Amino acid sequence: MIADILTVAGKELREMLMFGETRGRSKMSLVVLVLIFGVVIPLQNGREWVTSPISAMVWAWMPYMWVYSVVADSFAGERERHTLEALLATRLSDRAILFGKLLAALAYGFTLTWAILLVSLVTVNVAARGGGLLLFSPLMALAALVFSILISGLSASIGVLVSLRAGSVRQAQQWMSFGMLILFLPLMLIQFIPRAWLESVGTTVSNADPLQIGIWAAAALLVVEVVFLAIAMRLFQRSKLILD
Amino acid sequence: MNAIQTNQLTRSFGNLKAVDRLTLSVPRGTVFGFLGPNGSGKTTTIRLLLGLLDPDDGQAQVLGYDTREQADEVRARCGALLEHHGLYERLSAAENLDYYGRIWHMSKVERGSRIRELLEPLGLYERREEPIGRWSRGMKQKLAVARTLMHHPELVFLDEPTAGLDPVASAVLREDLAMLAEQEGVTIFLTTHNLAEADKLCNQVAVINHGQLLALGSPADLRSRTSAPRLYVSGQGFTSQMIEGLRANALVNSVRQSNGQVVIDLTDLSRSHEVVTQLVAAGIQIDEVRKEKVDLEDVFLRLVEEERRGEE
Repeated sequence: MIADILTVAGKELREMLMFGETRGRSKMSLVVLVLIFGVVIPLQNGREWVTSPISAMVWAWMPYMWVYSVVADSFAGERERHTLEALLATRLSDRAILFGKLLAALAYGFTLTWAILLVSLVTVNVAARGGGLLLFSPLMALAALVFSILISGLSASIGVLVSLRAGSVRQAQQWMSFGMLILFLPLMLIQFIPRAWLESVGTTVSNADPLQIGIWAAAALLVVEVVFLAIAMRLFQRSKLILD
Repeated sequence: MNAIQTNQLTRSFGNLKAVDRLTLSVPRGTVFGFLGPNGSGKTTTIRLLLGLLDPDDGQAQVLGYDTREQADEVRARCGALLEHHGLYERLSAAENLDYYGRIWHMSKVERGSRIRELLEPLGLYERREEPIGRWSRGMKQKLAVARTLMHHPELVFLDEPTAGLDPVASAVLREDLAMLAEQEGVTIFLTTHNLAEADKLCNQVAVINHGQLLALGSPADLRSRTSAPRLYVSGQGFTSQMIEGLRANALVNSVRQSNGQVVIDLTDLSRSHEVVTQLVAAGIQIDEVRKEKVDLEDVFLRLVEEERRGEE
């Protein structure tokens, strides 16, 4: 089972790194992403890139964007390119196919996030030049690790679920964009919340133990992720996929 | 033991019976042709046999495994080239085969040697590192056939492997299929509506229409079962009196003139020489006597036509 999951994930990752018409073009896209999020934005933020909780929030959600860009292809793409039926006719179990595709999306989001984070650390340190090494605090580093896995996983499980049901890659991407909108809706609505409420929430949060908040947030994410995964497992039926 | 054994296999989609009480057996080691027009139930039958769809009624055993209860075991032992070639066009030929080799837990060395073994006779080995997106359809079909054989399956399903290919590419693929079938010694279940293909490749054929089995046997069996014992005689001196004389012969079922020929339906083709002797004795100057040769296409069309008449 593990070997099968890794086989599927390996092929998926290879194809993800070949999105675009040629390998050269896909490498170019990756370089542009690394330049924007690993160099330009950290340079604009300077020292705050490693100290501000705002930047922590940015890179916590980064994996969603990376995973979102590739996961829509997982089933909808195979269906569109007529490769799904051949895959379903192999000895692979339903779970090996499903988890293989999930693992690939998760690994892609997680690896890309950390690669960009490391590049951003180098950028910030080179820009600061002197005054000691600038690093994330241990708590922020731990949060980055845990949340990048959880957000990658959440994005992957939503994406796979959407991709299972969508008729085409484009439709899956549209649904995923809508999902992203819902996720970011609270941030956009902040300006409409009365100032007094915000201040009271701010006071509560600043008085609370950040570790405890992190643990609760991680647990909530995990629960949501498990729910989406359970739905995806239930929806993964060979006969349904064949006839779709 | 048969490679495939079905018993009253039935599958409907809404009101449409895609496969209707299909009972057939496919002996191991044969190339079995499953013939039928478009929409006759061929692809649904393959999907049922691979356990990709569950039957509504009846059962099927493939390589001794029940397709409903042991579909994983069935798929583990079979290879399938379905309606589409199913290749990953962004990957190279070698990467495509390697992926399927990994799926079947073949070691790296095994995969490498198997890729060579399969691609060399097909003339694709030198191009194995090319992404296949720009390959011709014929080359992709060949690669897809190689992919179905990658893991040494005991049984291979090929769903219209030459569909959409030009006649030259079809002929090349047919030859490759015949060569691979002989070399690999696998049982092949081949669906097609190309009857020349079935005639050339298959030891056994079944004809299906509207999900129902119309005939089953070797191509020669089917030809003899459905061919009318018929003589076509060309020559000079046919008169209506002579035609009436032929009709009086107990061996003759019917006589008609068509396009300058006399067409004689006999009760027994092996005694056709008696009729020819009668014609010569009646003073006919015979240019040519031809016994009807029925090909699989005629058999197929006749069976489908008979079924249509039966329905009416």
